[in-house]
Amino acid sequence: MDSLSHLAGGFGIALQPLNLALAVGGVATGTFVGMLPGIGPINAIAILIPVTFAAGIPPESALILLVGIYYGSQYGNSISTILLNVPGTASAVVTAIDGHAMTRAGRAGPALAISAIASFVGGTLSIFALVLLAPVLSSWAIRFGPAEYFALMVFAFSALSSFSGGSLVRALASTGFGLWLATVGLDPNSAIPRYTFGSIQLLDGMDFVVVTIGLFAVSEVFVLLEDTRLGEASTRAVERVRVAKRELVETVWPMIRSGALGFIVGVLPGAGGTIASFVAYSTEERIAGSSGSFGAGDIRGVAAPEAANNAAANGALIPLLTLGVPGSGTTAVLLGALLGLGITPGPLLLTEEPDLFWGLAASMYVGNAFLLLLNLPLVGVFVRALSVPRWILIPAVSALAFVAVYAVNASSFDLLLMTGFGAVGYGMRRFSFPLAPVVLGLVLGPLMEKNLRRAMALSGGDASVLFESPIALLLWFLAGASLIAPLWLRRKST
Amino acid sequence: MTAQTDRILGAFLAIVGGTIGVVATGYRVGFMTDPVGPRALPYLTAVILVGAGLWLVVHPRPASDPVGDGPRRSSVRALAACGCFVAYSLVLPWIGFFAATALVVCAVGLLFRGPPRGTVAAGLLTSGALWLLFVRVLQLPLPIGSLWIL
Repeated sequence: MDSLSHLAGGFGIALQPLNLALAVGGVATGTFVGMLPGIGPINAIAILIPVTFAAGIPPESALILLVGIYYGSQYGNSISTILLNVPGTASAVVTAIDGHAMTRAGRAGPALAISAIASFVGGTLSIFALVLLAPVLSSWAIRFGPAEYFALMVFAFSALSSFSGGSLVRALASTGFGLWLATVGLDPNSAIPRYTFGSIQLLDGMDFVVVTIGLFAVSEVFVLLEDTRLGEASTRAVERVRVAKRELVETVWPMIRSGALGFIVGVLPGAGGTIASFVAYSTEERIAGSSGSFGAGDIRGVAAPEAANNAAANGALIPLLTLGVPGSGTTAVLLGALLGLGITPGPLLLTEEPDLFWGLAASMYVGNAFLLLLNLPLVGVFVRALSVPRWILIPAVSALAFVAVYAVNASSFDLLLMTGFGAVGYGMRRFSFPLAPVVLGLVLGPLMEKNLRRAMALSGGDASVLFESPIALLLWFLAGASLIAPLWLRRKST
Repeated sequence: MTAQTDRILGAFLAIVGGTIGVVATGYRVGFMTDPVGPRALPYLTAVILVGAGLWLVVHPRPASDPVGDGPRRSSVRALAACGCFVAYSLVLPWIGFFAATALVVCAVGLLFRGPPRGTVAAGLLTSGALWLLFVRVLQLPLPIGSLWIL
């Protein structure tokens, strides 16, 4: 197997001391931020992007760190979900049902243990699938021309808008806002300044780190302050984090099934962990039938969604790495980080930057193993961090964000812009506009425009070129179907 | 949130989208560099925003408020925090990284109802820790503050 020999080489890179340390540091940071309410992976990655740029570490090492945060946070999220019944993201909502029921029944230990094990199983299975599938998809995606890329990006936008769970119109408005932000600055083709309002600082365009930290992290501070019930979360001591052998046997197949299912759902743009965990949970509930106690603390009700959302998180890396088109807010932030590091993901990534891809894949195995080793004995330590009061944690994290952004350009303008985006993000949250499509629009906008222009230049201005190839037609069909499907399902259910 | 709010939001979006579209008509290139030109993406965003905005005006369907309902909400402290961040951005080059960061951490900590002494300590410690991380470990220059130099 070609992939396996490449992977062996990847382990050589992943096990270098710096990369090993960054993978471990990444998953530990990820667990931590995934667990704490109000930080989350998007904020953590966005804040660390300028730090990794400034530290000048090699691109593959930076990516190992950021991706470690990405999948580590999936597990961290389940800790606060199980213990406190506060799912940090939508993908953990299902875990809360049986996970918190187990905590109330005094079985928080087994719930946390199975969540760690399920995350490991789902994560490891999906990395294996990633390693096998990525080269295949890459060799296929090499045939993508600008027209196909343009259609693919339209599909990514429509899928994220319609599967994000909220109102389709609001998600489209957020996408439009993100695309507009992408046009700010000098137009690369004609050098015409667009929407710069005469500001020199805006000629380079909107810095996506400034926009992302503002929209997500700064607005989070405002939202948290608005809640006048500033009481501290109460945590209970967790007894031994172990799971009985019988329960482990009982959950093996649910974990494997959910891992496979989660991966497939994760590869599709827009769907991601939320849908994966819901589908996995209801599938296992149906399979268990009357033998299960789903909803009342069934351990399979924790194992299934946790395996699925970890697998989905890794599956979502496939379109990001092989096509260069992210399908979610967090992977859009990762794409921004990659572009900033001078790496353009796409079908050529595997051949042009093999060390980066295989090193990353191998480091994900290492990171997942560390997550399991770290979390079974140390979950008590992580839990204690939940009792750090907000008046220490939130100001300290915001200061880190501001200093990190300032350190890159030494510009007060960036900080003001970031605060402004914080206010915008706060308003958007107040009025239920999703934030993830803004980031996706901002990151994909320039690529979308470039591919549209290239396609049209090749055809001499004939727009039918966009609909000529079978691949492009399929993508247009999928884009349309993903917009219509939720409306149709809603009508059917009412 | 009421249907009325949704209508106002929709109208606002439509106006913003319209403005974006109108401004884009001014982006003309002297000779045809490419058939698409710099106006296509702005037009697309204008169409999306105007369309979504008008839809909200015609079909206002307020979504449930994710932030949390009820009268126990106050935007005053969120606004105060916004002011703190603006002040921080402006005074940073002047009073320097250490003092500005300690002050902003302390101030935002107080807004989160931290104990006064505790927030002062948190401010000094955070500032010190960030100085160690950025200046000593990452070797990035942070402003000392023009106020202290002369």
